[in-house]
Amino acid sequence: MKFQYILPVIFLISIFGACNLTNDVDLELPEYDRQPVLECYLEPGQPYQLLLTRSFEFFAPFDTSDGQFLENVIEQGATINITHDGKTVTLVEGLFFNPFTQKIFNYGSPEIVPEDFDNAFELEVILADGNTITSKTTIPVKVPIDSVVIEFESDAATDTMARALTYFTDPDPNIENRFRRQFHWNSLVDSSAQQDFLATDQFADNGRIVFGTGFDYPVGDTIWNTVFNMNRDYADFYESVIISVQSNGNPFGQPASIDSNLGGTADALGIFTGLSYSREMTIIEK
Amino acid sequence: MHPTRLILFLWMFFSINSFAQEKFTLSGVITDGESGETLIGATVYVAEVAAGTTTNEYGFYSISLPANQPLKVEFSYIGFQNSERDITLTADQKLDIGMGEGIELAEVVVKANSYQEQLRSTEMSVEGITTKEVKTLPSVLGETDILKVIQLKPGIPSGGEGTTGLYVRGGGQDQNLIVLDEAIVYNPNHLFGFFSTFNTDAVKDLKLYKGGFPPQYGGRLSSVIDVKLKEGNNKRFSGAGGLGIISSRLTLEGPIEKDKSSFIVSGRRTYFDLITRQVNKANEGVEDNQPIPDYYFYDLNTKINFKLGEKDHLYLSGYFGRDQFGFNNETFNFGFNWGNVTSTARWNHQFNPKLFSNTTVTFSDYRYKISNEIVGFSFALDSKIRDVNLKTDFYQNLNSKNTLRYGASVTYHEFTVGRLKAGSDDGEISFSGGNEFDGVEYGLYISDDWEASPRLKVNGGLRLSGFSNDGTFYYGLEPRVAANYKVTNSFSLKGSYARMNQYVHLVSNSGLSLPTDVWYPSTKLVEPQISDQVAVGGSALFKLFGTEVFLTNEYFYKLLDKQIDFIDGAELFANDELEQEFVFGDGYAYGGEISLEKRTGDLTGWIGYTYSKIRRGNFFGPKGDVMEGRYFAPRYDRRHDISIVGMYKINERFRAGATWVYGSGDLSWLPSGRFTFQDVPGAEFQAVVPSYGDRNTFRLPAFHRLDLNLIIKLGLKKKRKNPNRRWESDLTLSVINAYDRRNAFFIFLDVDFAEGTDNDGNLIELPTGVTAKQVSLFPILPALTYNFKF
Repeated sequence: MKFQYILPVIFLISIFGACNLTNDVDLELPEYDRQPVLECYLEPGQPYQLLLTRSFEFFAPFDTSDGQFLENVIEQGATINITHDGKTVTLVEGLFFNPFTQKIFNYGSPEIVPEDFDNAFELEVILADGNTITSKTTIPVKVPIDSVVIEFESDAATDTMARALTYFTDPDPNIENRFRRQFHWNSLVDSSAQQDFLATDQFADNGRIVFGTGFDYPVGDTIWNTVFNMNRDYADFYESVIISVQSNGNPFGQPASIDSNLGGTADALGIFTGLSYSREMTIIEK
Repeated sequence: MHPTRLILFLWMFFSINSFAQEKFTLSGVITDGESGETLIGATVYVAEVAAGTTTNEYGFYSISLPANQPLKVEFSYIGFQNSERDITLTADQKLDIGMGEGIELAEVVVKANSYQEQLRSTEMSVEGITTKEVKTLPSVLGETDILKVIQLKPGIPSGGEGTTGLYVRGGGQDQNLIVLDEAIVYNPNHLFGFFSTFNTDAVKDLKLYKGGFPPQYGGRLSSVIDVKLKEGNNKRFSGAGGLGIISSRLTLEGPIEKDKSSFIVSGRRTYFDLITRQVNKANEGVEDNQPIPDYYFYDLNTKINFKLGEKDHLYLSGYFGRDQFGFNNETFNFGFNWGNVTSTARWNHQFNPKLFSNTTVTFSDYRYKISNEIVGFSFALDSKIRDVNLKTDFYQNLNSKNTLRYGASVTYHEFTVGRLKAGSDDGEISFSGGNEFDGVEYGLYISDDWEASPRLKVNGGLRLSGFSNDGTFYYGLEPRVAANYKVTNSFSLKGSYARMNQYVHLVSNSGLSLPTDVWYPSTKLVEPQISDQVAVGGSALFKLFGTEVFLTNEYFYKLLDKQIDFIDGAELFANDELEQEFVFGDGYAYGGEISLEKRTGDLTGWIGYTYSKIRRGNFFGPKGDVMEGRYFAPRYDRRHDISIVGMYKINERFRAGATWVYGSGDLSWLPSGRFTFQDVPGAEFQAVVPSYGDRNTFRLPAFHRLDLNLIIKLGLKKKRKNPNRRWESDLTLSVINAYDRRNAFFIFLDVDFAEGTDNDGNLIELPTGVTAKQVSLFPILPALTYNFKF
C-alpha cells in the first residue's frame, strides 16, 4: 500500500470497524469486453513457457464445478512464436507445471532460454480468432547479492532473534534502475513472501543498496533473499498491478489502468519480459 | 481608442463628475458598540440623495455627499439596530459609529437595507456566512465548522461526506485561495478533511467568492475564501467556550487599554487520544487486539490591536495548529504531524477622508513530517511551503461616482518537496532525497467601482501577476469586470468576467484531502494554470406568502487551461522527479445556481439548487497521457445539488436549526474487469487483479441527509432577575443524519474466498464470488455540547 494512505486507512478502519458502516449493494458496472491476459518471463537456463488466459467481467462467477470453467479461463488455439537472434521458437499448447516454483503455463517449448543480455526477444501470438499480440523485450543483467549480514541486537547468549541486511550494488548509477525485493522465511513456496516490493536506485548510498528486516528471525531458521533486476516495462506493469489491487477498497487511493507492454490487435493485458534475479538462502546462526 | 485619448477622456469624465456639485466626504469606522469590533459590509445609506456605500473589510467607509444640505444618514448591519444621524456637511467630516445590538427591534428594516445593498452592488457570485448562523446549524460531533456551513450555499459542493474540501464551480481543491487575516492557509483541514482549521469562536467573518473576483485577489482559479479573525473586545473583558464530546474550546478577549487596544486568544483541543489511550490500556493483553493509534489536533488563534491615533491602527494576529498522529509499540515508534502557522501584521492608515490604506506583512507555513523509528533504523520525510508576503492596498473615494482600489503585493515562496532522510543508527545504511525550490509571486492591480448611472454600476479592473522561479518567469494580465443594472428597486441584473492565473499547485493524487499533498511551484515544465469565467444572473426582492424573500439566480461558464493531473500509477511520494509524473490539459465547467433566502422573522434560512457539468481532458505529459487525451468527468462532477437550511427561534429558551442536503452521487473509478495473475517464482498467485478502464465512469448513489440542531438556553430566570448578569450558557444537541441514511463514502468490490484444498491436499483459499460493498461514514450521530459566554 502506498505509504501516504496508510494512516487515513487505519483511521477509517477504526471508525468503520466500530460502527459497522459497510453493507452490500447492487450495482451495474460499465460494459466490459473480455481481454486476453499473457504472462511470459524469459529466464536464462529455463524453458520457454507462457501463460495465456482471458480476463473476466468483474462480477462473473468463479464456479469451478462448471465443466466449461477451464475452457473459459484459458485462451486456447493460439499460435505462439518467440524469435531471438534469428532463431524462432514455437510454443505448443499443453499444461506445463513446475513443482518447485508451483507455477503453471499453457504454452511451452523444451527449448532453453539463452543467457543473452544484449539481443532482443520478439513475441508474436496469433489467437484463434485471428487477433494478434506482439511484444519485444531483453533480459536484464543479473545483479548479484554482495552479502547477507545477520545481526543480533546484542551479544548476550539469550538474544536469539536476528535481522538480515542484504547488500547489493547498483549496476549503473547513471540510469534509473528498478528492483524487486523478495524476502522469504522458512519456505519459498508454501508461505507468502515476508517482503515483496519495488525499489529504485534512488535509495543507493554511494552505489550500494541495502534492504533490511526487523529482529524477527530466530537462530536455526532459514531465510531467502531475492533481488530482481527489472526491465522498465516489467516494473511499470508490476507496479500497475499492485496499485490496481490496493486501490480497490481504499478511498484515498488512485487506481491505475494495467500498464502492459503488449501490442497487436487483441488489446491484451500482461507482460512479456526477461527475468533476472539473484537469490540467496541463509540459515540464521549466531 | 488611442491610449492618450483614453486618459484624456477618463480625466474629463472624473473631472466633470467631481465638479458637477460641491460635495464633502463623510468617512469613518463602524463598530459593534458593545465590543468595539469593526463591522465588515455595514451599510451607509442616505435616502435624500439615494447614495450608499458599505464598509470595507476593515470597517472603514467613505461617501461623498452634497454640501450644505440637511441629510439623514442611516447605518445598518445584520443583527444590529439601525442607527441614524442628521448631518449637514460644511466640510469633510469623520463620523465613527458604534452600533447597538437590537435584533428584535429593527430587524426588518436592517434586512431590507442589506438586501438593497445586494441589489445595488456589482459584487456577484459571493456567499457569506455569519458565526451566529454557524452556531445555530447542526454540526458533526458538536464541532461547529464554518467551512462546512458554507458548503450549504449553492455552487460549493463538498469533496465528500463530512469533508471540508471545496470544489467551487468545477474547480479542484487546490484552486481555492484561503486566507486567514490575509495570510494564506495552505491546508484548511484537520483530521484528513473532516474538520476545518477555523475555530468558529475566533472567526468574525467569512466571505467566499465563486466568480466575479475583485482584482485585489489572485493566485487561485476557482474561489477566494476570505476569513477574518475577531479583533477582541476593547470595551470589557469577556470570554466564551464550549465542552463537547470530542473537544473543548476557550476564547478570552478584552481591552488592553479601553477603546484603544484589545486582545483575543482562542484555543481548542480534541481529546480522542485520552479516550483511545484508555481503550488501549483496557485491551492490553487481549488476543488479536489492534491498538488504536493516538490522534489529536489543536489550534490557537491570537490577535492584538492598537489604535495608534485617529488615523492609524495596528493589528497583529497569529494562528498555530497541529494534527498529531502517533502509533508505537516495543519495536517501532511512528509519528506523523502536520499543520499551519500564519501570522499577520497589518497597519491601517487613513491619509484623508477619501484615502485609506492597508499594509500587511504575512507569514504562512504549512508542513508535514512523518517519522518512524524501528530498532536500529530511522526514517523521516517532510514537505513544506513557506511564504513571506508584503502587500499594500489603497481605497480611494475619488468622487461620488467612482471608488478606486489599487495595490501591489509580493510573495516569497519556499518549497520543500519530499525531503527524505533514512538510515541505520550505526551509519551502515543511509540515504536521502527531496527537492527544494523557491519562487517570487507578484501582483499589481487597480479597479474602479463606477456608478455610471443611478441604475448601472460597473466595477472594472486589471491585475498584473507574475511568478519567477530559477530563471523562469511567467506573467499574466487578468482583466476583471462586473456590472449591475438595477431594473427596479427590487430587481437587478448582473454580469461578470474574470481571468485568474495560478502559479503554485497542489500535488494530490487522491479525491480526498491528505496532509501529505504537497505544493509545487510553476517551473519550466509546469506552466501556470489559467481560468476564464463568465457569469450572468439576477437578484430579486419580493414577498412570498407575506414574507420578504431574496432570490438569486446565476449561470456560469468557466474555461480552464494548463490543468495538472497525473499519469496512471503516478508515484508522488518521495519522488525526486515529480514533474515527470505530471500531465497537462484543459477543461471546462458550466452550470446554474438558484437560491431563495429568507432572513427575517423567527424562521430564517435558504433553499439552494445547483446544476453543473464539469469535464477535463487533453492531458499529456513527459511520461504519457490520460485516456489518450479524451475528456472525462472528475469525481466531483455532481450534476444536481440541493440544500435546504432552516433556523427557527421557537422562544427565548429554544432555537432550532435543520439542514437537508441532496446531491447526485460523485463519480467513482471502479474496475469493470478482473484477471488472475500468476507472477514470478517466489511470488504468490493473485486470484483477482482488478482491471480499471476509463476514469470515473461509475456514479455513486445519490446522497441525502437531514441534520438537526436544538439550542437550549440556560439560566434565563437568573438573567431575568439580574439583567446585568453576563454569564450565558446553552446546551446544543445535534443529530447528524437524523433518518440514518447510509450514504456512500466509497464503494469497493470485495472478493469472497472459501477454504479448499489443492492437489496435494494443502489448504488453500479459493475465490467464490464478488460483492459490491458500500462504506458509509455516518450513522445517526447525536452530540451534545455545553457552550458558555460571559
